[in-house]
Amino acid sequence: MSRRLILLFAAALAASGQASRIDVDAFEKVWTTIRDKHWQAKPGGLDWQAIHDEYRPRLEKAASHDEARAVMQEMLGRLNQSHFAIIPGAIYSVLNDEAGGPGVTGIDVRVLDGQAVVTSVDPGSSAEKQGVRPGWVIERAGGKELKPIIEQARSNPAIHELQLTRAVLARLSGPIGGMLDLDFLDGAGKSAPLRLSLSLPRGALSAFGNLPPQHVWYESRTIGSTAYVRFNLFLDLPRVMASFQQTVENCKTCDGLIIDLRGNPGGIGGMAMGMAGFLVNKPNQRLGTMYMRDATLNFVVNPRTEVFSRPVAILVDGCSASTSEIFAGGLKDLGRARVFGTKTAAAALPSAFERLSNGDGFQYAVANYVSEGGQPLEGLGVTPDVEVKLTRTALLAGRDPVVDAALNWIETDSTRRNAQ
Amino acid sequence: MNRRRSLVLILAAASGFAADPLPSAESVLDRYIQVTGGKQAYQSRKTEIAHGTLEYTSLGIKGTITRWAADPDKYYASLEIQGLGNVEMGVNGGVAWENSALLGPRIKTGVERSEAIREGNMNSTLNWRKLYPKVENAGIETVDDEECYKIVMTPAEGQPVVGYYQKKSGLQVKMTTVSSTQMGDIPVELIASDYKDFGGILEPAKVIQKAGPQEFSITLERVEVNPAIPPERFDLPAEVRKLADQAAK
Repeated sequence: MSRRLILLFAAALAASGQASRIDVDAFEKVWTTIRDKHWQAKPGGLDWQAIHDEYRPRLEKAASHDEARAVMQEMLGRLNQSHFAIIPGAIYSVLNDEAGGPGVTGIDVRVLDGQAVVTSVDPGSSAEKQGVRPGWVIERAGGKELKPIIEQARSNPAIHELQLTRAVLARLSGPIGGMLDLDFLDGAGKSAPLRLSLSLPRGALSAFGNLPPQHVWYESRTIGSTAYVRFNLFLDLPRVMASFQQTVENCKTCDGLIIDLRGNPGGIGGMAMGMAGFLVNKPNQRLGTMYMRDATLNFVVNPRTEVFSRPVAILVDGCSASTSEIFAGGLKDLGRARVFGTKTAAAALPSAFERLSNGDGFQYAVANYVSEGGQPLEGLGVTPDVEVKLTRTALLAGRDPVVDAALNWIETDSTRRNAQ
Repeated sequence: MNRRRSLVLILAAASGFAADPLPSAESVLDRYIQVTGGKQAYQSRKTEIAHGTLEYTSLGIKGTITRWAADPDKYYASLEIQGLGNVEMGVNGGVAWENSALLGPRIKTGVERSEAIREGNMNSTLNWRKLYPKVENAGIETVDDEECYKIVMTPAEGQPVVGYYQKKSGLQVKMTTVSSTQMGDIPVELIASDYKDFGGILEPAKVIQKAGPQEFSITLERVEVNPAIPPERFDLPAEVRKLADQAAK
């Protein structure tokens, strides 16, 4: 009840026709955060106090909440740097509304051509048991259409693919042991309503510091003479690093190695350097450099005693972020890996999201990361060497065009080497 | 106007006469040895095993640290950090090394090696004359409302280490330097507090370390004094030995 009153009060302020106290407070919060946390003492090379003095009077004259937001957004635009944004509170409602619980259906999705398309189904999950297949479209979850959510989120450039995918996946979750009604379009384009049970996510629960415990999985298999690994997070360090080492050791005679980072949002940044040590044999190679206000950190690779020397393909998509980008971008720049898929999330920095007093969101980055090739990853992401998009048609045909492209490259390279 | 200026000059001169002369850096460092146990206490310590905990407060990460040391210049430390696994490091026979589940084994070189070897000197407090060819008292600065002598110690290789020693107690309460690491030069600040007697030597039971963007605290819980430590405790791990052998070829 009290929460509703506060919301009504805030709405009344927003509609009052002039900048409210909460918008002024939000402005000060944004300005102060940049002043104190930006990686440059002079953010964007600007006289930040002068920026305050220029924009504060304009904000005070703003006739509405929307105008106040526009003033703040314009101020952030002066930085001419990515990942500084004001996100309308309404977008949060779209993204967070009905975010479920820890229980999942075992389905992974991507938004392809404006539709939520099933890209994988966990073995043994309720979805698999009921016959859900990659390529199916999810039209409704819990009786609610997904299309409006997708359209609203896609209309805001501050919302990237990773957030959108998470918003869709949140609607496919709920309490463990609960049931969820999903309306699919199957491979033949027929409506397929199914009731799926919700269970624990795949993988082992892993805790790291203040991060909420998360399920981490690692899978490894061979496709022909190529090793293929995929893991969902750069977390659970002892287990994931040991598993990766094992994969590399078992793969000494493989034609190549595919590391699938699609959907991997990152985790512990140092793991990028640690894993690269199994793939790079020259000492003192760097994946990139992180610039902070009081320190510059080189992401140096230590070659391990046993290093995999055959071709390495890394698969990425718009949900590959942070450590995934540092790893893929660095190995690409060092010429050690060929990257396949679609452009990554461009979120390689410790950029933070905070809610402002006026209900809007505020995104800001606290460091700049430049990959070894000289390109900042933040805002630009990793552009694959070979762009390959997932399509519903390929998924329905049981193909993964990104894996296929990587396999073709490795096989061609192997054939060439054998011929020499 | 002139009278006023003269008055200022007289006051300035008077204050100059009234101020204590700065003690030499040497005497400040020797006093630290004295107030923390005395030369004899340090000299009689030939081996030690220190046990403590560490915590990255802002990240919510905790761990334990155990450090074995033998006079004059051997050490081995093992850190068990939640979510990161084991990190071990040491110095033996002039080889400074590190090994972790995260980054794997490596041999330290250059300035980083020199720093590790200084750190590996078990009685570095007592041996400051050997480790820092140049020391100077740079004046008085206040740390936590206490006046401290600012002692700049310059090693033969590496960045100066600045120690802040309380004028009143003689204890070191702060240290700053720029540490050379594989990832680059990182400004480091240590705040030492809660001095306690560990086997006849006063040591700070709590040290807060700010290293670049990270801040963590180390709590020293107990120190085993002059325990028997088998020499192989300081042996290089097999993977590190392999790297050292490769580097020697």
